[in-house]
This record gives sequence, structure tokens and C-alpha cells, in this order.
Amino acid sequence: MNSAQLSARLAAGPLLLDGGLGSMLIAAGLESGRDPTGWNRERPEAVAAVHRAYAAAGSDLVHSNTFGASPIKLRAAGSDDDCRAVNTLAVSLARAAVPAGVLVAGDVGPTGALLPPVGNATEAELEAAFAEQAAALAAAGADLISIETMYDLREARAAVRAARGTGLAVLASMTFEARRRGFFTIMGDPLGPSLRALADEGADAVGFNCSVTSDVMATMAAPARAAVGCPLIGQPNAGQPRAEADGVVYDASPEAFARDLAAMVAAGLRLVGGCCGTTPEFIRAARAAIDAAGLP
Amino acid sequence: MKDSRLLGQLEQAVLDGDEARAADLARQALESGETPLEIVDRGLVPGIRRAGELWEEGEYFLPELVTSAQALKAAMAVVQPALTAGGGGREAGRVVIGTVEGDIHDIGKTLVATLLAANGFTVSDEGTGVTADRFVARARELDADLVCASALLTTTMTRQADLVAAVRRAGLKARVMVGGAPVTPEWAERIAADGHADNAVAAVSVAQRLVAAKPATGAKRPKRGSR
Repeated sequence: MNSAQLSARLAAGPLLLDGGLGSMLIAAGLESGRDPTGWNRERPEAVAAVHRAYAAAGSDLVHSNTFGASPIKLRAAGSDDDCRAVNTLAVSLARAAVPAGVLVAGDVGPTGALLPPVGNATEAELEAAFAEQAAALAAAGADLISIETMYDLREARAAVRAARGTGLAVLASMTFEARRRGFFTIMGDPLGPSLRALADEGADAVGFNCSVTSDVMATMAAPARAAVGCPLIGQPNAGQPRAEADGVVYDASPEAFARDLAAMVAAGLRLVGGCCGTTPEFIRAARAAIDAAGLP
Repeated sequence: MKDSRLLGQLEQAVLDGDEARAADLARQALESGETPLEIVDRGLVPGIRRAGELWEEGEYFLPELVTSAQALKAAMAVVQPALTAGGGGREAGRVVIGTVEGDIHDIGKTLVATLLAANGFTVSDEGTGVTADRFVARARELDADLVCASALLTTTMTRQADLVAAVRRAGLKARVMVGGAPVTPEWAERIAADGHADNAVAAVSVAQRLVAAKPATGAKRPKRGSR
């Protein structure tokens, strides 16, 4: 799917994305602290089951299990997986799990390597790593590339440039927190100018995911709309994480989450879904809320 | 000749994250006759504390905080030999610090380690991805007063619970302090950690309190430090 095709698809109606993948795999037994990428090989049926459940719940698009599958991240995690092989496998798994008509996005997360002054990585290194991953995702038949949870605008731009090289449509999403003067990444990149920079770099849709709850994310729609004209993406967490005896739980209900997602669509967002802690139940509720609102 | 303006300038250099200037001012202050402790207490600590406050107020972000810590470290490198030569002046306590197994996040932990060292603690930084066994072995080896464990992910914070259990099981005297973005006072309480801090500046005072409140072995632990 290229830029024009994505644009036509979004003109027909909002896209409901999937929800949390890593948190679902942890619920299925992935050891806490382990990167989910290895499960494409070790537990393909568990990964496919999550994709299938999201499609059944009403997702129009699912993300491949490749958030941690850039060569830099794989190396840092001490993984045995080869970048090309694991990205290929993950896209095939997703494709086979969902019905025709549901899009498969090749998911790209941050490399974890930090740029100066916090770390010593270079933008060229990061871009090369993203190019390797994006090429593998595209060759495996991903419909588009979805870049998520970026916290440094320089790294996000490098990822967009690399993803553009595949010729596929590109979604680019960063993670912002509410600070006294507005929404910023931990590196201090402000919401509006960051989204504009990503759009200028050639992303077809830009937005935000993770870090905040759905009610807070709903308030990001207006400043984002004021900053850019391209389609907007929002994927909040399922409330705040809370540590319980057997692990981490999130405190939002699917109903409250769904109301906020419908409000985000009404406020002009075109691609909405869930991040950490959201489940097919949240997506099912969001599908119902968005459909009931009859949003164009 | 002592020049008290130097310490104010040093504070500013730390706040500005100016590594070269901070090291240079620390050298000048030593030459002017300031004691190493005065330089730390009246120049370096106020500078990094102010940087921490600006972070909390949403004015500073990670790059500013990290460059301030780097400036602090550069000045500490100048002052450290004089501190050691003077008998150290004080030993606040021995600390083993690291990021828990499965977690490669370095920054918060390194900031805490830097600030603890600046405040007179002898710090052994074990890096990231540290197993509970490794924490316990190092704490035993160094006869540590405090074990500090950082976790940046909701998926790795559960390792802090394993660590508290391992330290208790090993019968070490060390108290356990936990921190990291997802870590709350409630979580610290739940896993029976001795203390928790929200940020690197707060971590120093919690560490000081925990070490001061050191109980006799087997004694009931005092109320744990919260933020």
C-alpha cells in the first residue's frame, strides 16, 4: 500500500488499529523482562493467536511482532535472531492469522541506542539499522510501515527516512508526556513541531502512542490538529500501570477507553488503537463506540 | 585566597551542563583554598539539585539532566583525589547499584550513582541487566550498606521483588532501595523494599536516611523511607 492508497483508504473512514501485543504475550506466559521478538520463532502460535483475536475484535490493521526487531535492538537484547529472518517470519505470521482486508503493518520501534548528549549513537547508524529492518518488512509483504513509541525526534526522523525508502505508506508515532508547558518527549521534543517535522520528512500519518491514558491523549488531538494537516494517529495505554502481586495491571475499563477513542476520532484522528495493557476486549468496545457514533 | 564567588560559578556550570568549565572551576576553588567538602556541598550539590528541580518543573529534559550530571562528574574527578587524601572527610556508606536483569536502561541509575558518589557514598556501579545473584554477591563482597535497583519497564520491575527476597534470604545487612519510572511507593511497600525515591536528588536523602537508620541484625526494620 503506497501513500495514495492509504489516503484513499482513510478517506473512506477511520482505521481501527490493534491493541497491546507485548502485554498480551506476557499474559500468555512470556517471561517478564524478555523482548517479545523471540516468540515469533519459539511460540508462533501464541503470536498468531493475538493477531487473530484483534482481527476478530474489529481491528482493521494489526502490527507485526517486530517492535524490537531492528538489528541494533536485537544485538542489545543478546538475541540469536537474524534481522531479516525474524522480520520476515513475523510478517508471515500476522498475514496468515488475519482475514483478507485486514492490513498488516510492519512495526518498527526505537533502537534503544541513544544519540548525544545522552548516548553515543549517530543518526546515520540508526538510519542504516531502520533501513535494514524496513526493507525486510517490505520484502515480507507488509502493507505499510508503522513507526511507534519514538522519544527522540532525530531518531524518529531517521526511521521515517528509512521507511520511505521502501515505497510503502509510513505511519510515525512518538510518545509524549504532559508537562507544565504542554506535551513533550523525555528528550524535550514538543508535540506540535515534532509532528510537523515527521510530516515534512514524508510520513503519511503522524501521531502519538503509549505513556498516557486515553483521557489525556484525547486532549492532544486539538494541538496536533493545529500543527499538521495530515491524518493523525492515537494509541493510548489502558490507563495507568499498577503493580500487583502477580504482575502489572492497567486500571482503565474497556468502556472508558472506547469512549475516549471515539472522542479522538470525532476530534479528527483518523487512525486509533491501543498500546500497553489494551486487549481485544478494549478494541471490541472501541469498534462498537466508533461504529455507533457513525463517524465519517 | 578563598573566593566564594567560585562556588556560585561552579553551581552554575553544573546547572548549565558545562563540563570543561565545571572541572576548571573546581580546580580553581581547590587552589584558592576551599576544602573539597565545601566544593561538593556548596558548589556541586546545589547545582545538581537545582537541575533536578528544573526537571520536576518540566523545564529540563533528559539531555539537560545528563549534561548536568556529566559536568558534576567532571568536577568530582578533580575534587576526588583531594577528598581521598584528606581521609575522605566522611564515609556516607557503601552502595551497590544496578539496573535489574532484563532491563538495559542506564541513565537514571547512572545519575543516582553519580549523585551518591558526590555525597560521599562509596559506589559500586554494576551496570545494567544485573541478576539478583550478582547484586547479592557484590553486596556481600563489599559489605554494602545499601543495594539500589533500578527498573524502567513495567515488565522488569517485578525483578525488584526477586531482589528484595534474595537479599533477605542471604541474610545481608544491606537495605534495598528501588527506583525507576514505573516504580511507585505502593510498589516499594508491596515488595517490602526498604526505600524508594522518585528521582536522583531524592534518592540521596533516602539513601542517607536508610544508612543512618541501620538496625542491629534481626531487629525489626524501621518504617521504610518513602518520597
